[in-house]
Amino acid sequence: MLRAILSKLRIASRVGGRPDRVSILLPFLIISIGLGVLAWRSYTLSVRTEEGSKALARQYAGYAAEITASRVDAAARAEMSLVSDEWQQIEKRIDKPTFGSLGAWIAQHDWIVDAIYVPDDDPASSIYGTEAATGKSKKEVRLTREFFTATGSIRYTYSPQRLLATPTVQTAIRQQIPAKDRRAGTMPVQQAADVTLVSGESEGYRELTDGFAAVSALAPPLSSFAVRAAVRTSYGTTGWENQRVLSLWVSLLALVLLAIGALLALRGMSKEAETMKLRGALIANVSHELRTPLSMIRLGAETLKRGKLKDKERQDIEDQILREVLLLSHLVENVLDVARIQNQSTRALAFTPVHPRDLIGNLLTTYESWIRSKGFTCTVQIDETIGEQMWDRDSVSRALLNLIDNAIKYSADEKAIEVILRQTSEYIVIEVKDRGVGIGGNDLTKIFDPYYRAQFSDTTTRRGAGLGLTLVQQIVASHGGKVEVESQAGSGSTFRLMFPRDLAGDPAESASFGRPREAF
Amino acid sequence: MTLSISRIFIAAWLATGLAVAAGDDQKCHGTARECDQQIRHFLGGRRFLGATIKDRSPGLVVEFVTPEGPAEAAGLRKGDRLIACNNKSLTTASSRDFKQVLADARETGMLYMIVWRRGAYHRLRARLEPYSKEQVDKIIAAHLSQSHPSSAGGHR
Repeated sequence: MLRAILSKLRIASRVGGRPDRVSILLPFLIISIGLGVLAWRSYTLSVRTEEGSKALARQYAGYAAEITASRVDAAARAEMSLVSDEWQQIEKRIDKPTFGSLGAWIAQHDWIVDAIYVPDDDPASSIYGTEAATGKSKKEVRLTREFFTATGSIRYTYSPQRLLATPTVQTAIRQQIPAKDRRAGTMPVQQAADVTLVSGESEGYRELTDGFAAVSALAPPLSSFAVRAAVRTSYGTTGWENQRVLSLWVSLLALVLLAIGALLALRGMSKEAETMKLRGALIANVSHELRTPLSMIRLGAETLKRGKLKDKERQDIEDQILREVLLLSHLVENVLDVARIQNQSTRALAFTPVHPRDLIGNLLTTYESWIRSKGFTCTVQIDETIGEQMWDRDSVSRALLNLIDNAIKYSADEKAIEVILRQTSEYIVIEVKDRGVGIGGNDLTKIFDPYYRAQFSDTTTRRGAGLGLTLVQQIVASHGGKVEVESQAGSGSTFRLMFPRDLAGDPAESASFGRPREAF
Repeated sequence: MTLSISRIFIAAWLATGLAVAAGDDQKCHGTARECDQQIRHFLGGRRFLGATIKDRSPGLVVEFVTPEGPAEAAGLRKGDRLIACNNKSLTTASSRDFKQVLADARETGMLYMIVWRRGAYHRLRARLEPYSKEQVDKIIAAHLSQSHPSSAGGHR
């Protein structure tokens, strides 16, 4: 099944013509499916853990409430038996209990409100005592209790609230400190219950926003009171910090990161593919470029060998051969230079003092016949005040020649080239203007890319490898300068080579422009 | 543990508490009328036998019979040994158990007893009496005179 889908995808990618896109997206798709499965798994696990911790908290709260209730009951019973013991001690000490001793006994126990002592032998001599006048509320619940002593019996009323507030009972309510756990904080359930004494709450469990509470009633006669134990769980929250939501967030983040990665990979891939395509075009171009001059040279050479030519014809053929050889070497040089500079190879530039004026003059003199043979007129405009510059003579000449070559190649009806040498406050500028076909807006950004040729540059009419401008740019950049283009389709273009001025006096600074120059 | 500590305490507070109680008038938290009501509530439904029982472990012996009380009327005498009461054997009981029997008999007010006197068993029938109005008044008066000196005379 999967195999079938994969093969289908492969075929589709082959048919689609962009195999790289699918081949890069497929692994990412598989990874994201895996991530999705992991996210689902972690979500279900969190839910399960949450259920478990809820059950645990519920159980724990129940136990805490029940145990504390029984402890409170025991403590209250102990307190009651304690007071009866105390009274019997009094009875033993004194022959006959008096009003004062009963009052003292009541005063001793804060929670006893009043009491009557009925002696067995003479019921008429019963004593009644109440607690001393205090500001305590009279609206408290009162309970009555009776106990028998050796010589009589005591009946007393007490306030259960005050009884439960006595230190002995409070000790029973107080929660014991949970044992120190080294993994404290990892448990979703807190190891302590908040235990409180409440009244008027019905027995049973209830769910809180962040945990569980259990209420367990006390034994009679204190059954109107209950112990409430609340256990908090860290899972109870519903906000974004909830564990299961958190796991979803993390998975989402992973997916987003993955998508970004896929996008970047795709972009890099497409760029690579484009370069590959251009390189393929270069090979076609170069071979074409090589073949034409070669066949021209061969033709000329064959004609010469056959002999019997007039002097003029002979000279024409020699000129032609020379021209083609020049062209050929120019092409080869271009290709090699681009490759070298691109690979940052050892062939560095040799910076020597150069007069830009002389450089342009020499170049134009050398190629004048060629330019003229193409039917072009070349006007030169030179600022004579510009002094010597630390340039690499050969490469700057090559850059300029490339520009002129381009101007000739992409010419229109008006065959005029203008070369201008001028200076600004920061740059020495060599400008090459033509009135040719110009460059469209889309191409303008790409013309410096290696192997790129503008849309109209079909190889049949315009010869070239798509390396000229790349080389120009690289040369100028290695001098620390930049290339500017001004052009509109159909109205000619202007290339400006801008070399920084201050390069002249300070050769040390030129080292900072990136290209190594210590090779010689 | 708590019990033993508190026993030590008792000695301490007995000394202080009794001294204080002897010197001062014990002021009630309520008014005289409230105290009156509370005493009547305590004694209401409560009946008395009119005899002191001594715990001679094992066994219970009548130590003192209140004159003109229900016990005397039933023929209970000093020195009688209680064998059973209301279908409950008292031969090995404590005085507390007997009082529980009395408390249980509050509803009917009847007490059927078997006592042992001078080598013979006697069957006795006592009717527990509620507190008479005079007795209750006496108890109230005693409390009022102790605790409410200002209102002792003017209450009724």
